[in-house]
Amino acid sequence: MSTNERTETVQEQIVALLPRLRRFARNLVRAPHDADDMVQIAVERALLRLDQWHSDARLDSWLFKILRNAWIDEVRSRARRAKLFMPEEAGEHVGEASMEREIDRLSVEAAMARLPQDQRLAVSLVLVEGLAYKDAADVLDLPIGTLTSRLARGREALALMLRLPEGDFL
Amino acid sequence: MSVSDETLMAYADGEVDEATRAIIEAAMRENPEVRRRIAEHRALREAMQGAFSAVLDEPVPQRLIDAARGQTAAPAGGHVVDLAAARRAAAGPAPGRLRSWQPAAMAASVLVGVALGYVGWHNAKPLVTTGSSGELLAGAGLAEALSNQLSEDRSPGLAAITGLSFRAKTGDYCRTFSLTGSHGSSGLACHESDGWKIKVLTQSPPAASSSSNFRPAASADPPAVRAAVEESINGEPLDRAGEIAARQGNWSASSGR
Repeated sequence: MSTNERTETVQEQIVALLPRLRRFARNLVRAPHDADDMVQIAVERALLRLDQWHSDARLDSWLFKILRNAWIDEVRSRARRAKLFMPEEAGEHVGEASMEREIDRLSVEAAMARLPQDQRLAVSLVLVEGLAYKDAADVLDLPIGTLTSRLARGREALALMLRLPEGDFL
Repeated sequence: MSVSDETLMAYADGEVDEATRAIIEAAMRENPEVRRRIAEHRALREAMQGAFSAVLDEPVPQRLIDAARGQTAAPAGGHVVDLAAARRAAAGPAPGRLRSWQPAAMAASVLVGVALGYVGWHNAKPLVTTGSSGELLAGAGLAEALSNQLSEDRSPGLAAITGLSFRAKTGDYCRTFSLTGSHGSSGLACHESDGWKIKVLTQSPPAASSSSNFRPAASADPPAVRAAVEESINGEPLDRAGEIAARQGNWSASSGR
């Protein structure tokens, strides 16, 4: 396969992954249009770095990682316009959610938005995107143990907010 | 046998090795509490996937598809005219680009015709053609879209997307449209006795392709199109039922009266 053909093949694979990239971006950035902007930035970056992707690696993990790094860059460069993004301090209110909350689409989204950012990313990659722990840890540049504990804490907080019985030790 | 909740979580996520799996499944047989906790982990996982899956069914904005294919000069995303925005735009000063407009010979129309010397093609069906007196007409490809598509239709592969439909002060039905693909053109067409005539055709502003700035959240047809809508509209735009009724009457000015 020529370089051009390979590039076109990967480009079409990226097109096929766009719905999942948009979903992941919406767990990073609140407004759908801004989330799509992040996807566009990430995709443009990915195309510039196609030579860094090896076809034996998962394309989705690689793109999630570029998207997550692009988002961090944006947050840093736009820190003063913080309201565009999920407020980090919202995580401090975990557990204060309405006691009457039911498990439905809106309340799950609201609970997710209240998670601290590090837990939200772990939950988003593993529970929503279905990545293996090892791949999610790689996207987030974390040791797998750290990923696992963030995931466990995020789950526990979600269960509390959604009024699932909280998990503890047997 | 004591199993940490973190291990139960890993089991529910399919992340434990064979030995651990055997231990947990033995615990599940003996202990309803273990079964309950694993069921909860799975329920949460399903709830998370269900809550965020709707976006997967949304049409992907063309600008993202273009970006993934390395076509960075993609047209701006949205194609639906926001009438309130149109009114605001019409109240404000016209953009500089309007100065280059060439008035066309369309005396019967209250609209300003615009010819940018642009002809778009899609699958060998012309999107835009010119009539005998030089006026712009919808070609077969665009006319099909204008006559048949409802404004909610965003299926992939369409040659043109229709935005807003309304009855003009002349009595004619008019619709805004955007040509898809790399054309990046938008416009306004009205159905007159001999077919769809293009009243305004304008190049959409190119999408910002750099990471340096975010665009405003609301995207819409170009100001020239919005201003033309505002100038010519009689009453309110058609809703879905209105579009269906107009389509049944072949968008004829005498129908629906």
